[in-house]
Amino acid sequence: MAAADPSRPVAIMSDTPTIVLDHVSKWYGDLVAVSDLSFSIGPGVTALLGPNGSGKSTTLKMICGLLGPSTGAITIDGLPARGDSKAYRNLGVVLDIEQVYPYLSGREFVRMNAQLQKLPDVDAATERALAIVEMTDAANRKVGGYSKGMRQRIKLAGALVHDPNVVLMDEPLNGTDPEQRAHMIRLMWELGRQGKTLLVSSHVLSEVERFAENIIVIINGKLGAAGNYRTIRERIDNHPHIVRLGANEPRKLASALVTLPQISSVRIDKDGRVFVETGELRDFYRMVPRLAKEQNVRLTELQAADESLESVFSYLVER
Amino acid sequence: MASALWRPLPVFMLTIRQFFGGKSVWVVAVLAFLPALFGMIYWFDSGDNPPAYFLAENIYRPLVIATLLPITVLILATGALGNEIEDATLPYLTLKPISRLRIVFEKLLATLVVSLPIILGGLLTTYLIVFRGDAGESESLSFLWALLASAAAGIVAYGAVFLLVSLFVARALLVGIVYALVWESLLGRFLTGLKIVSIRHYTESILVGMADDRDIALTGATGVATSVVVIVAVVIAAMLISTWRLRNLNLE
Repeated sequence: MAAADPSRPVAIMSDTPTIVLDHVSKWYGDLVAVSDLSFSIGPGVTALLGPNGSGKSTTLKMICGLLGPSTGAITIDGLPARGDSKAYRNLGVVLDIEQVYPYLSGREFVRMNAQLQKLPDVDAATERALAIVEMTDAANRKVGGYSKGMRQRIKLAGALVHDPNVVLMDEPLNGTDPEQRAHMIRLMWELGRQGKTLLVSSHVLSEVERFAENIIVIINGKLGAAGNYRTIRERIDNHPHIVRLGANEPRKLASALVTLPQISSVRIDKDGRVFVETGELRDFYRMVPRLAKEQNVRLTELQAADESLESVFSYLVER
Repeated sequence: MASALWRPLPVFMLTIRQFFGGKSVWVVAVLAFLPALFGMIYWFDSGDNPPAYFLAENIYRPLVIATLLPITVLILATGALGNEIEDATLPYLTLKPISRLRIVFEKLLATLVVSLPIILGGLLTTYLIVFRGDAGESESLSFLWALLASAAAGIVAYGAVFLLVSLFVARALLVGIVYALVWESLLGRFLTGLKIVSIRHYTESILVGMADDRDIALTGATGVATSVVVIVAVVIAAMLISTWRLRNLNLE
């Protein structure tokens, strides 16, 4: 099952990789969550982009050692993260966990992280981390009373308290307000500029653009695309989308559709369903109902034709 | 409070804060001091029994050892790690450069540091209520030591075992209650061969052996030294299996 396939894409994003995934798969019974994923990333901010349920969190949890891969190997700075707790001296992880110990104050939580890291100067490290996330003023309040955005920041302070070289973040912008979001993005840039390796997951393309130089797209647990933001964006935008339409008079609809400038091809299958290829999905969706009304055709179906790369890309763009 | 302990024992201190942050400590305290109320019965109706016999046979063995002690320890021990799994907060501890054995050790230590004084305090109070004027006599005191040593052994053993259980089942509290009530009470009583795999048997053996009182007896009692060795072995085994489990646990 899911044997390493040499034809599968391998994304090598750096000459000096810090995180390396080598033919990693994870399955639960019959369900394949991650399938033969190989990539290596180096210093700077890399986004792990994909729709919800595409395997981003599973991948991050395998990288940090919370989950063991079913097959394949993962290393961080040459060390396997699972089974060797020493790897965590150089790794900071912000998971998408709702709870932070509500009975601790923010400062106590960060201090505890410093103590668990066995830092020589716990106080200095704690205050430094609190300052980085701008939580010094709220540090004495109980975490139980924090907003979601504040919890995200205190979790980040806990993950950065030992100044790690590698930082993993699972959807860190979830639940933040615009101001907190801007601050978080500035922070990611700054950490990337310092030469740290950041791997940040997100399901929002427009958000990723603001913080990541490089992007790895995961779709259905597989590597969908990889490269810098512009390459990915072009690939997504220029990718023809296939849309399926149903109507009471498919032939009439098809001949009318041919006149639309957004469309590159139209065909009808033997069941009378119309397939349209378009490079400008949004415009097309806007035009179709008007066209149908003009032609007095009743639309019965209008949807992306399959769950392939195209539909996922359109999902990412439409956000 | 004791903030100097955070540095050497961060997981321990976190767990202590967790216990006092919720209701569990207060539930435990109420259960631990319940026997003291039953002790007052002795003032009105001693049934012509000596106080040691009354305390051992009417309160300690049927009520404390059989039910209250396992359940109080259960509440704390399953909460110590089980709550972290339930709230998904365990990665805050496991994604750190500390060994899994140390996490287990500190979690157990926190469980014991809270449960030992509370449960033993409840028993001491019960002892004072039942023995009243005779509480200071040397004969009474040797019974007290037997009582406290037996209970302490039970707390440590149940603490380690229930911590382990909480790493394997989501509803550890329920499973633990069934274990304490069904396994330890019923099976141990009717199928005498099962005694040797029941924590209750060894705690009672320690009581009976140390109390050295003809009226407080246990058929097939194990010697005190052997009982202590068995309990130490149980604790070590439970901690090692917990560590192994924590190392291999897949956290979703």
